[in-house]
Amino acid sequence: MAARVLRRHPGRTLLTVLGLAIGVGAFIAMVSFAEGARRSVVRQFETLGTNLLRVRPGSRARAEGVRPAMPLSDADVRLLRREATTLALVVPVARRTLAVTTEAGRVHRTRVDGTEPDYARIAGLRFAAGGMFDATDLGTSNRVCVLGVTVARALFGERDPLGERVRIGPALPARVVGVVAAQGRTTTGSDLDDFVLVPRTTFALFLGATEGYSSLEVRPRSAALFEAARHELTTLLRRSHGLGPAEPDDFTLWSPEDTIRAAEETSRILGALLAAIAAISLLVGGIGIMNIQLVSVSERTHEIGIRAAIGGSPAQILRQFLAEALLLALVGATAGVLLGVGSSWIVAHAMQWPPSVSWRVVALSAGFGTVVGVLFGYVPARRAARLDPIVALRRE
Amino acid sequence: MREPAPRSYRAPSTALVPAVELRGLVKTYDEGELSVPVLRGIDLCIEPGEFVSLRGPSGSGKSTLLNILGCLDRPTAGRYVLGGTDVSALTREEQAWVRLHHIGFVFQSFHLLPDATAAENVVLPLFYAGVRRAERERRARELLERVGLAHRFDHVPSRLSGGERQRVAIARALACRPRLLLADEPTGALDSRTGASILELLLDLHRRERLTIVLVTHDPGVAEAASRRIFMRDGRIEDDARA
Repeated sequence: MAARVLRRHPGRTLLTVLGLAIGVGAFIAMVSFAEGARRSVVRQFETLGTNLLRVRPGSRARAEGVRPAMPLSDADVRLLRREATTLALVVPVARRTLAVTTEAGRVHRTRVDGTEPDYARIAGLRFAAGGMFDATDLGTSNRVCVLGVTVARALFGERDPLGERVRIGPALPARVVGVVAAQGRTTTGSDLDDFVLVPRTTFALFLGATEGYSSLEVRPRSAALFEAARHELTTLLRRSHGLGPAEPDDFTLWSPEDTIRAAEETSRILGALLAAIAAISLLVGGIGIMNIQLVSVSERTHEIGIRAAIGGSPAQILRQFLAEALLLALVGATAGVLLGVGSSWIVAHAMQWPPSVSWRVVALSAGFGTVVGVLFGYVPARRAARLDPIVALRRE
Repeated sequence: MREPAPRSYRAPSTALVPAVELRGLVKTYDEGELSVPVLRGIDLCIEPGEFVSLRGPSGSGKSTLLNILGCLDRPTAGRYVLGGTDVSALTREEQAWVRLHHIGFVFQSFHLLPDATAAENVVLPLFYAGVRRAERERRARELLERVGLAHRFDHVPSRLSGGERQRVAIARALACRPRLLLADEPTGALDSRTGASILELLLDLHRRERLTIVLVTHDPGVAEAASRRIFMRDGRIEDDARA
């Protein structure tokens, strides 16, 4: 019976349902978006390995009187390797952005890193073809390079680049010895496969000296020693740079851990904020149900009068209007679930996020939507039940 | 929603228990400071199977009396005993129960649900009484047949003539087998020929099923048909005549 009454005004019913559906859908979508973004960041940095520390030159503090950053030098690397007890690997990386050219004349501008063979281990590189240059290459400044897949594709298309020659910058002709398997994109969309690796010594010889290294990639001996490693690294670098006790660090430590933590914090706040906004729209949807049911009760006063006069009890009339509100809420909640899950899936797909619609959230929002609908349906239903049949019958 | 009727209520009324018994019934409406008396002390006893017509000028209190008889309203003072049970001070829920199970209403303007078919209108009381769908369907056929409208089963009220609508309303009033049928100007909205046939139907129900009927009317001709004629004026019974 409730269904038929709602079919009497299909347009109005649709709008009411839509209000609640958008509320429920928005709630699911918002929570899922925040969760998807978080997981995407976490996944990206977890592949880097959480057991990693990166040192960059320059201070985080921008205070007056801080002296210019001291570059990260070979002396720093030597000191760390000689004295550190908690560090397994210390790998320097020198970086420039240069054009890379094939013999056929194809050009691609990319980031060129001069580093050591251990970089492959510390960055967890997997190779699609060939492998990392080795200690001999490093020792004799061999003119060899490793390409990220973006560079390989840009320069060689589908052709196998192994053994091919490229010119890096103006002065370094090098042979391709390896291609690193695809790593994808960061959350912000930058390409993780757009790079060229050459031995640090080759870099220094042919691509000119940069002012120190752009970063040191450091792996502690074990995850348990992470905090100890962070502390020792700081102490040794401060000593190496001759910093007095009052002076701030002139370098910055970063680890994927930091980013994950920041991302989790951000997405937690974002998620709560979005959920709050969505909850408000859910409430608005509930008010929509109340509004439409109030209109319905006043329009159907005469009908209610008839039902009451022939013996429909106040409780039965209350139940009838509650059933209508419940039906509206259920249809709205169902549509909202489809809307929310659908849009979350589309966004996750488009952003290449891991799927993150949790059934707990779906159940929560659908349940909340239904409860809101029925609660707001109660006021009009009670008004219907309290109508005096004599008065109601007189209204046409 | 199922409400089994207490057996005591269902007991067939014998001639010893009046169908309706009113003692010193008073009804006043409060209009701000003023209280307006509408019924000024009604004493009335209606035996089971009586057909009573109620006449009187506008404002004489006959509609108010009918509302109280129908448990749609409560008296300000006095007692109303229906089939041996005092129903003067029931709650709204209890009033609804009594209306559903013991009283049938027929109105001047029919008061049918416009979106429901004749059959659905007829069995609406059975829906509230918790009767199952299959049984409701069976009863709808039986009742529509009784009022001569078996062929209008699936028609909505807008596709029925005035007389047919009133027959549907009468069928609905009979759905729960009430002991008392209250009719408020049942022929008032009909032309005289159709009105006469509706009156004939009511008389037939009264004769064949010993239904107690109270009928409010302006029409002396209609009132003539009743076995007992009551005339009201200024909230009092002025004349009470048995044929």
